[in-house]
Amino acid sequence: MANVSDPGALAKVHQVTTARTNSGAPIIEARGLTKRYGELFAVNGIDLTVFEGEIFGILGPNGAGKTTTLEMIEGMRKPDGGTIVVAGIDVVADPRRLRQAIGAQLQSTALFDYLSAAELIKLYCALYEVDDSPARIDELLGLVDLGEKRNAKVNELSGGQKQRLAITLALVNEPKVVFLDEPTTGLDPAARRSLWGVVQGVRDRGTTVVLTTHYMEEAEVLCDRVALFDRGRLIACDTTQALIRGLNMSATIKATCEAGSLDQAELAALPAVTGATVSAIGSQSELSLTTTSAQQSMIGLLELAARRSVTLGDLRSSQANLEDVFLSLTGRSYASDTEPATDAPASSRRRRRRGEAA
Amino acid sequence: MRPLLAMIVANLKMTMRNRGAIFWNLLFPAIFIVIFGMVFGNDQTITIAVGVTGADSEYRQQVTYVFTEGDEFDLHESTDRAALMADLEDGELDAVVEFGESADNAFPPAVVHYNQANGPTADIVNSVIQQVLMGVAQAESPLEVTLEPVNSDSVSFIEFFVPGIVAMSLMNSGMIGLSTTFTTWRERGILRRMRLTPFPLPSFLLARILSQVVVAFAQTLILIGLATLLFDYRPTGNIFVITIAILAVSLAFLAIGFAISSVARTTESAAGISNLLVFPMLFLSGVFFETDSAPEWIQPLTRLLPLRFAVDALREPMTRGAGLIDIWQPLLALGVIFALALAFAARFFRWDSRAA
Repeated sequence: MANVSDPGALAKVHQVTTARTNSGAPIIEARGLTKRYGELFAVNGIDLTVFEGEIFGILGPNGAGKTTTLEMIEGMRKPDGGTIVVAGIDVVADPRRLRQAIGAQLQSTALFDYLSAAELIKLYCALYEVDDSPARIDELLGLVDLGEKRNAKVNELSGGQKQRLAITLALVNEPKVVFLDEPTTGLDPAARRSLWGVVQGVRDRGTTVVLTTHYMEEAEVLCDRVALFDRGRLIACDTTQALIRGLNMSATIKATCEAGSLDQAELAALPAVTGATVSAIGSQSELSLTTTSAQQSMIGLLELAARRSVTLGDLRSSQANLEDVFLSLTGRSYASDTEPATDAPASSRRRRRRGEAA
Repeated sequence: MRPLLAMIVANLKMTMRNRGAIFWNLLFPAIFIVIFGMVFGNDQTITIAVGVTGADSEYRQQVTYVFTEGDEFDLHESTDRAALMADLEDGELDAVVEFGESADNAFPPAVVHYNQANGPTADIVNSVIQQVLMGVAQAESPLEVTLEPVNSDSVSFIEFFVPGIVAMSLMNSGMIGLSTTFTTWRERGILRRMRLTPFPLPSFLLARILSQVVVAFAQTLILIGLATLLFDYRPTGNIFVITIAILAVSLAFLAIGFAISSVARTTESAAGISNLLVFPMLFLSGVFFETDSAPEWIQPLTRLLPLRFAVDALREPMTRGAGLIDIWQPLLALGVIFALALAFAARFFRWDSRAA
């Protein structure tokens, strides 16, 4: 089953959180952010710093506290504890002033029906009392590649087009920071990739982007830095590369073989292997090796199989990714956590709680 | 000012493009006017109910004979002039012919009292009765026939019906329209999104209410226009008083709609609650018929329904030319309903449909 949480890995990850890739000044600083609903801590003592000009991803399974955190930073929810400063504005004390300085996209459904793309943009320009000339509207449509949908009504747009419209509506007041709440949820892969391009375009214009997502891949590809959330806590925050470097591995090797033909101890002894599991699936065993060098471990594994005349099936190696980081920090696999019906066993939750308290 | 105006314009566009809203606000009440107007609107001219009173004479007997024999007449002869005049005012009679004493063997003078409220019908009644009077006299001598209009309480069906239907359509657009719109916006996160703009909630609500008031006046004009075109409805009354009444009715129902949207979790439940309140009111508030015919025990109850106040506030000025003073009670009641509903809505308002 899953690896047991490794306190060493956790410490390593935290050591590198101070490193940063972008040279901008801090634009969001949250300290000790806490939100409680009755007994439950939705967000539990989170510290976050976002720098100007970066795409900052808040990543975590459903219910991890991503949206609640975002809403507190946007001034929509009052935190039960902690301080937030966005673009020099004390959010807790002055949420109204913040609204002029930020832009936000919520779900794609948060658009008025019966209005065209251009009419919606014109309306938002009026709400922020900024230029709404046809040239400006065309520019805003162009930013999200909706120039041809100028006169299309909202209900005639596809999911991806609606999201792009929602993003450009968040940009009408030329905000310093724009918040995107799960911008690609529910989109097909092509629409998702096209939206990544839009988000990068927004950042390239100098706007800081903070987005939430539960797609690991999206955080890896799109975000300059990633804050990994789990059950109301920030468990890691850095560039994807630095988070993976902090792991005791660089790749995972997987294969299947006849049950009982290879055992865990001899696999763990292979070169560069840092962890090995063998799980039985019917008459087959599934091997999973974590390694600091995929090449060395792969050679070792192939030689071992050749010596024993074991046939390896479905042999593959994958680069370490954020899923491995999540697994190593929480002891749970990310995929199983993001399935809505799946809940982690109570025992693992209790174990984790104790670990946190220590 | 610019954000508010832009939001009002956007709201008007959305309403115009929303086929469901157009149906409930305009088509539905228009269908009522057409159907009920056709069934009940043109039944007055089949027979002429005529009362005869005054001094007896050979001439009077001859005229009475014509009224008795003619199929188109329904004769009510009586010495009680006051009773006949009361029936005329109530609309039971179409005209009352009153004969005077004859002098020098000439034809006695006759006065024809008719009901002004009958409009075009009254003209037909007059000309028919005059023909009878002249015909019997063979117009030998200058017959003195005087026409006496009577101001009465009786109104034609269409006059009675149009203000009721206007009240109904203002109720539908206010309660069902506003409550479902706001819950939809909340469910879809539009209210949350608005909260992230510098545009404040009171302005957002005001924009919606003002746009619905504009729609309310358009609805009223279209319904009155339709009744005028199809059923010879003649709008009467003071424009200023009627405007105030429409405004009061519209605002009261919009506030109720807003209150419903604050407690309803979903659009479906908002529509359900609205309909639950709307339908009993439709039949108990005198839109289609006077509530005098309703059971005794339910009568005091019907007088407290918002639609009842709406109907009273609109019908009196629109049929009898009542002034503001005459309708102060329903206006005050609508004001109280507006204030209570708004306070209730503000107390329970939620930006967000998500739990917690």
